[in-house]
Formats: sequence, C-alpha cells, structure tokens
Amino acid sequence: MPVSLPEPPFDYEAQLAACARGERQALRRLYQQEGARLYGVLLRLVREPAVAEDLLHDAFLRIWTGAAGFDAQRGSGRGWMYSVTRHLALNALRQQQREVSDDAALEQPCAEAAECAQHLPSSRLQQCLEKLPAERRACIVHAYVDGFSHAQIARHLDAPLGTVKAWIKRSLAALRECLQ
Amino acid sequence: MKDDLDNATQDERDLLAAEYVLGTLAAGPRAEIEQRLDHDPALQAAVDAWEQRLLPLTELAAPTPPPAGVWPRIVDSVEGLQLVERINWWDRLALWRGLTALAVSACLVLGVLLLRAPPVSAPTYLVVLVAPQSNAPGWVIQAGERQNMQLIPLGVVEVPPDKSLQFWTKGEQWQAPVSLGLVKPGQTLQIPLDTLPPLEPNQLFELTLEGRGGSPTGKPTGPIQFIGRAVKVI
Repeated sequence: MPVSLPEPPFDYEAQLAACARGERQALRRLYQQEGARLYGVLLRLVREPAVAEDLLHDAFLRIWTGAAGFDAQRGSGRGWMYSVTRHLALNALRQQQREVSDDAALEQPCAEAAECAQHLPSSRLQQCLEKLPAERRACIVHAYVDGFSHAQIARHLDAPLGTVKAWIKRSLAALRECLQ
Repeated sequence: MKDDLDNATQDERDLLAAEYVLGTLAAGPRAEIEQRLDHDPALQAAVDAWEQRLLPLTELAAPTPPPAGVWPRIVDSVEGLQLVERINWWDRLALWRGLTALAVSACLVLGVLLLRAPPVSAPTYLVVLVAPQSNAPGWVIQAGERQNMQLIPLGVVEVPPDKSLQFWTKGEQWQAPVSLGLVKPGQTLQIPLDTLPPLEPNQLFELTLEGRGGSPTGKPTGPIQFIGRAVKVI
C-alpha cells in the first residue's frame, strides 16, 4: 500500500513574493487555494453574486499589485488576502448605503447569528465569543460576517441603535481583553 | 472624525481600529482611517492586531466555487496591467525631465563650441556620389575651406574580400586623377585639405573598385562604383 505523504502546508508568503516578481502562476495558485473561500466571504457580505464576482476580480488584482508591499512582519499572507478582500466589500457596502435607502429589505442570512459562533473551529476567538451574552455575540457576527451596519443590526435584533453601538464597543473591549 | 482620532485616547483609537476591521464604521470614518494608515504606524499596528484577532470569523462563510468566468477576467486584467507597466516609461516624468536637462546641456555645449569655432564652419563644397548606372546616391562629401574633407557613407556597400574601394579626385585642368586613399565600406573618411590643391567647382570625385591595397599603377583601373562633381554651397 503506497504511503501518502502529508501535503506540505501552502506557503502563502512565498506565492505573494512570486507575485511581486511578476509570476502569474503564483497568483493562480493563490486563487486555486483561496478563491472559493474568498468568494464565500464576499457572497455573505454583499449577497449579490454579480457584485461578489466583481469584488473577487478586484481583490485578486489588488493582491497582485499589492504583493510587493505585503509585509510578513505585520501578519500572515493568508490573513492579508482576507483583509484586502473584506475591505473592498465593506467599502462598497458603506458607499452604497449612502445612495441606497437604508430600508432596503434585508434577507436573513444568519437568523441565529448568536449560534453561528458555535460552528467556528475551536480557537481562542471562539472561546472568547462564547463568553459574551448571546445578543452581543450576534452583533459581532452580523457586523463581521454579514457586513451589517449599526442600523441594520439594530433593526435585525430589534434593539435601539444606541444600545447596539454600546454593545459592540463593549464586546470588542471584552474580546481584546480575553484574547490577550 | 479627524478631531476624534487626534484627541482620542489610546483605548478609543484601538476601538476605532476594531470597528474599522469589524466593518461597522460608516463610509466617511472608514475613508479617514484608510488615509491615515500609511503614515500612522500605531493605528496600522492596532488595525493589524484586530485583523488577526477576528480572522477566524471568516470561517463562518460557506466556501463557494466562483463562476468559471472570474479567473479569465483576472488574467486579462493582470495582462493589461503588465502591458501598462511596460509602456509606462513613456509617461515617466522624471525620465523625460532628465533627458530634457541632458538635451539642454548638450545644446549649451554645442552653442559654446560653435561660438569658439572658426567663423567659416559650414561646408563650402558638397558632392553627392552616385552609382553610375542607377544614380543611387551612396556617399556624400562635404568640405569647408579650412577644414578636413569628409567622405560620409549613406549606406554599406559590398566589397569583395580581394578588392578595395579607392577614392579619387580630378580638377578640370588636372592631367590625371589623384588618389585620396582607400575607403572602408560604411566608414567616414577624413582627408586633410592641405594635402590637396584648393577645391574648385565641378571637381570630379569617384570611387573605383581596385585590387586589394589599391591600384598598382597609381591611376584608376577598375570599374567606377560611385561618381559625382563638387558643387559650391552659397
């Protein structure tokens, strides 16, 4: 019986360095490795497939052009790709909200946001989230995963806007302390 | 917002960084943070820390294979970018500034040299040497009254390895052509004028194909390759 060797871990930083040298194959490898997960993150944030496709295209162009400026001292290559992608989507969402009425009907992508956190792989973050009251945990998940604004979260949880803002601030402070 | 950030305590700034990463900041404050990141290392570090802390939450979004058309679009755009990078040197201001400065200095140097040069510097005689059959121009001769005569090639002519091109001239009253030496194809030949009688209008110049090392008799013996007569330039 052939012995299958464990696959070596994907080296994001090496691929980003290759992108910086202009090697398109490296970008392809990053796309094959993370494309589906990044597209999933974008779909969840913007909810429209056509918009998510455009943002995925933009994100990989940003990864290509920004690879030379990527600094491994500041964090992992994989994390950087998610940051680039998420902030493109968040900018699009927040700019759109200026024009589009806030009353735009919201689907319910994660009705039980508070329970969503249980599906997280075991991590310090998951343990720290579990310590938060359910509605505050829901605020964090709706904001980070669903891209909800303060007002959208308030409507979704049927809570006053000021209360939601305070919950989020306190939750973030609690997470920071818990994760230290 | 600017004031908010400037007056904020470290704790408040850290929570602003957290809300930037979380996504709850409105468009204005988001833009403000992004503008500051490049030149505010403390804020950048706070944002980086929050990116790492919250990254596991991305696992909550279900992976979805993107439509097949996305990757070709990315490739097209990357190719476009690489093309733009290649032609971008056209638009590089510094490059053209440098070249312009170089050109200006070259003009100044040339100007000074021209002012210092003897007053008569323009060629006073011009000869265009053409092939006898086709009249195709092959060489130009220019000569001033006090300067060397120059034989300038307009192209490269083929000379068999066992042959040489020899340069001759003959004034109208001269008894025979005088050799001006051998010519290498494609190379400019300089001839000091003080070795010759003064140039005169209609003076004949020609290039003949001679044996290697030139005519053995001192007179042209081979076929004429190029021929022309001197014209005085006004």
